[in-house]
Amino acid sequence: MKNLTALLLAVGVVAGCAKPAAAPPVEVEAARVSVLPSAPGDAAWNAAPAFTAALLAQDMVEPRLLEPSTPTVKVQALTDGTSVAFRLTWADDTKDDLPGTGRFVDACAVQLPAAASANVPAPQMGESGGTVEISYWSAAWQAIVDGRPDTLAAIEPRAAVDHYPFEAASLPEGSKEQKDMALRYAPARALNGAARPASGKSVQDLRAEGPGTITPAAETKSAGKGVRDASGWEVVIVKPVPEGLRGQARSQVAFAIWNGSHKEVGPRKMRSVWIPLALGAGA
Amino acid sequence: MARVRNWQIDREMSYWYPENRPKRQFAAVFDTNKCIACQTCTLACKTTWTSGKGQEYMLWNNVETKPYGFYPLGWDVKLLGKLGGQKWQGKRYEGHTIFEAAEAGERVHGWRPDELDYAYPNIGEDDCTGAKLERGDFLTLPHNRWFFYLARICNHCTYPACLASCPRGSIYKRPEDGIVLIDQSRCRGYQECVKACPYKKTFFNPMTGTSEKCIACFPKIEMGESNQCFVNCIGKIRHAGFVSKPENVREDNPIDYLVHVRKVALPLYPQFGLEPNIYYVPPIHVPRPFLHQMFGPGVDHALEVYRGAAEDPELAALLSLFGSTQYIVHRFKRENDTVLGFDEKGDEVVRVPLREPIHIRQAWDSARSIARVNVS
Ligand code: SF4
Ligand code: SF4
Repeated sequence: MKNLTALLLAVGVVAGCAKPAAAPPVEVEAARVSVLPSAPGDAAWNAAPAFTAALLAQDMVEPRLLEPSTPTVKVQALTDGTSVAFRLTWADDTKDDLPGTGRFVDACAVQLPAAASANVPAPQMGESGGTVEISYWSAAWQAIVDGRPDTLAAIEPRAAVDHYPFEAASLPEGSKEQKDMALRYAPARALNGAARPASGKSVQDLRAEGPGTITPAAETKSAGKGVRDASGWEVVIVKPVPEGLRGQARSQVAFAIWNGSHKEVGPRKMRSVWIPLALGAGA
Repeated sequence: MARVRNWQIDREMSYWYPENRPKRQFAAVFDTNKCIACQTCTLACKTTWTSGKGQEYMLWNNVETKPYGFYPLGWDVKLLGKLGGQKWQGKRYEGHTIFEAAEAGERVHGWRPDELDYAYPNIGEDDCTGAKLERGDFLTLPHNRWFFYLARICNHCTYPACLASCPRGSIYKRPEDGIVLIDQSRCRGYQECVKACPYKKTFFNPMTGTSEKCIACFPKIEMGESNQCFVNCIGKIRHAGFVSKPENVREDNPIDYLVHVRKVALPLYPQFGLEPNIYYVPPIHVPRPFLHQMFGPGVDHALEVYRGAAEDPELAALLSLFGSTQYIVHRFKRENDTVLGFDEKGDEVVRVPLREPIHIRQAWDSARSIARVNVS
């Protein structure tokens, strides 16, 4: 007991002597730079202030995430006045970038209101009349951008395939006939559906007016890149400031993180509330 | 959740959306007693719709040997086990449907198959119950040792769990024919439907990143023709058409006649609560408790009617129409020992004798003074 008292005293002395720590930032501050970094390892990030966003399990609408996972995401932001670059860093000790049955991928998203308004849209993907713009990055798409072939063998190395009709010897490899026939068995690709990003991108721009309404934007203007080490992911998303926010010095931003091995997908995710966003000196 | 009427369990139940029945409902009757597990149906579907990349292990139509066959592995017993013992009170189901049993945070009580659960589509094939066949095992009904073939496609349910579970509203039921489809431009591959469908008839395609399912060959249905797995069925076990609600039954509609009038064809696991629209004539040789669990309380009546079919001209007539035309028969009529089928416009599309004329080919060809063998 005596020793413990001595230890507590010592701790008290050290704490008392320490310089008062700077108060943690209360907003995401996008510092002004002339050239935005496009990769997580860019030196420009070293100077950007960091905000730690607390994440909550999405437990408002079914299907819900009942068991929380990723507790926080570290956020940094930079702006060149036209776009905002966000760097999200979070802990995740498993790499999940292979889609499959019952297998989900790591992902993150940044959400901004589509327009400045006294009534901020609901933080959960907006609401009717309160559109939000979302940029979604997926580890599976990043893997393809990084060179993983977009083939079955890359996803299922052990799969044995006898034959695809569109690979019959009579159809010249790479011919229009062959491609058209392959597309007939892949309607989602033929339709350019919501499940895949524009070719060569790991990020997809979307709009939403409430849970369940998320729809790809006419064009994805954002770009992104994610890298990971054993401890987790670092992802940069460079997003044009939504038209309705141009010239605004302040807005809000929200984040979401999906941990694939925790079976997180769609509404089963960790998300933040709206966080104040300072857009430099008038973006 | 809304309250909806489900006639198969003879009560109202909870469902994610209000009752909204299509103008007419695609439906079919499968006679399990005639299936030979040739898998021609499976291949007909595979070649037509699922020969693409990412669809390798996807069988919109599959045929499994019950009780030990499953695709995916354990699809029905896992859910039955999760739901636990439930009760029928006569024709009324007193237990929980999968909508009523939904856990907190879920829209439907479901489970996620593992990827490898799809890797054994032929597991249990032709496996008989019991350790070994004893002398006399085949002489009684039901058999002491048994198995049967269960051909399965999507049931195009009246209350689809797949549709209820999709948070994006990517799944819809066509108002014109009740066919349930996944909008491939909207789906983002959340796989909620894969988890929710108790029949496990939606599948994730890792190459497109979307879920895909049986489309009931809707382009053919729109032309008044039967689905690929129907017209190619070697055992002629299948009959496609449209089923009415019990209060709108039309006696000369083949499906209504089998399902509602004679009650010889029954839904698969009606207790799950989806009002599935593929109806089965149960196998005659299988112990009743197994059939009651699988097809509900109508089994005894259905089998009694079915076993009397030979002396029942109307029923025999209709059963003779199975697999006899590629067109959808909207109306049937028996004329003495012939049965006629008509399309939607009322034009005759098929005419079949109740009994095929029998021609006996003599074993001895006296003209050539030679014994005939089967190949001659
Ligand atoms: S069987 Fe499954 S996939 Fe088909 S409609 Fe019913 S719930 Fe949906
Ligand atoms: S084609 Fe007909 S008989 Fe053959 S397995 Fe399929 S349902 Fe059974």
